[in-house]
Amino acid sequence: MSTVSWITARGLFGRRRFLMLLPLPAVLLVLAVTSRALGVDPGQWGPPVLVGLGLAVVLPVVALIVGTGVLGAEIDDGTVVHILTKPLPRWQIVLPKLAVATGVTAVTVAVPLYVAGVLAHSVRLGLALAVAASLGALAYSALFVALSLLTRRPVLLGLVYVLIWEGLLGNVVSGTKVLSIQQYVIALADRLAPTELLGTTVSVTVAAVMTALVSVGFTVLAVDRLRSYSVAGETS
Amino acid sequence: MPEPTGVIHDIGYQRYTGPRLGRRHVFGALYLHGLRTAFGLGRTAKAKIFPWLVVGIVTVTAAALTAVRTQIGQVLLTYAQFADAMSWLVIFFVAVVAPELVSRDLRSGVLPLYFSRPLPRGDYALAKLAALVTALWLLLGGPQLVMFLGAAFTTKTGMRGVWNELLDLLPGLLYAGLWAVVFASVGLLVASLTGKRAFAAGGIVAVFLMTTPIVGTLSIMPSRTVNELAGLASPSTLVQGVGAWALRDWLLTGEQSAGVSVGRFGPVYAAAALLLVAGSIVLLLARYRKVATR
Repeated sequence: MSTVSWITARGLFGRRRFLMLLPLPAVLLVLAVTSRALGVDPGQWGPPVLVGLGLAVVLPVVALIVGTGVLGAEIDDGTVVHILTKPLPRWQIVLPKLAVATGVTAVTVAVPLYVAGVLAHSVRLGLALAVAASLGALAYSALFVALSLLTRRPVLLGLVYVLIWEGLLGNVVSGTKVLSIQQYVIALADRLAPTELLGTTVSVTVAAVMTALVSVGFTVLAVDRLRSYSVAGETS
Repeated sequence: MPEPTGVIHDIGYQRYTGPRLGRRHVFGALYLHGLRTAFGLGRTAKAKIFPWLVVGIVTVTAAALTAVRTQIGQVLLTYAQFADAMSWLVIFFVAVVAPELVSRDLRSGVLPLYFSRPLPRGDYALAKLAALVTALWLLLGGPQLVMFLGAAFTTKTGMRGVWNELLDLLPGLLYAGLWAVVFASVGLLVASLTGKRAFAAGGIVAVFLMTTPIVGTLSIMPSRTVNELAGLASPSTLVQGVGAWALRDWLLTGEQSAGVSVGRFGPVYAAAALLLVAGSIVLLLARYRKVATR
């Protein structure tokens, strides 16, 4: 584990605010367990809990908070200068941070999704959801880390993407689903474990290619932006 | 050591002896400043992007609805349904504005400067809350007014049609006010917990979005009582429930059904909404009593 990733992980977990991340997966677990215990038909509680809560809310919101936190927080309070002045190639700064963000997001989201998937259908669905959510965590993290270098308000821009693009437009204009990480995750999970609980219009090939493209593309972009990074004060 | 030879010159400093504006004016100034901050008025273009993006989307939607209505004569969304349909944008607007109102002051440590004025702790929080409520109400009420004007100018029954439309609009505005009060009090409370705008925005969205699927799950539980009480779990369905109960005659016409079925628990919804708002305000005031002592 490199020093950068160590510092990043400590920056994330060293404060009490990382406890803010716990309620989201906890709610997911509680809902799944309650529904199962009361004997509700999985066909009914599966979609709202697995997709509506898990893949549409918990995954992007956790990825947003963590992904913009690993680099954005340091940029915000100006301590990023300390890391930038070390004799490290920029990719050795971006990649460990991305790895930490992806790891934390994946663990936070995949574990409750696995349990919910097992309760809803089968171990296979649980594993499929966990794997797909981890891949989604990588894509989202790459996007949000790059965003925190492209703009001074990464969280708001990320929220525009999650709320307005994926949430609002994704339901109204179906064409935007081709450019939605959430739909890729659903498509991948559905391919790994075909059930009637998950459904999307995006094909698996498109989903796999686009997930890889988003992950690699935004990581390269982030490295490139950090290469020509100019330190500025807080904007209004 | 020689005697110090410094001299203090009288350069004409004077004490201010004129009338001083009191608490009410401080409150008013803070409220007005908060309202301007909400829409980025008097600030750089960067601060205007996100609020006006939301305002733009909402207004364009209202204009499109009005156009459809005047051309086809079909009402796609009533005033209340319009407020419901815009709920995600309202959440986003709160996530943009609430941190701007309170988190910046916490971050930059200017609260002692505020509280060195004749401004009680509570007034600061209440002025910010009032500003956010007004901003949200304008966000929903403005487009409703656009819809009203479109309908009023194309009515075929003369003044009578305008009057009927106005009777539809007023409960719609009242309903928009309900949205504004509930979302503003919860959002401002979350934002006041952290000085980082980024975390405040994330927290607000997490609180509002996380609760919606809970309603979805509770409403398919095998118990009618649980189904009808499910809406209590989320602020947006709570507001819809109160609207469906209190303003049913005005908001819903005939075949349209409410977003949530409240059954006979309407008063419970109203009480819960009142409790939520009151609780949020009490916690907000408590928070500012604590912050101010630092």
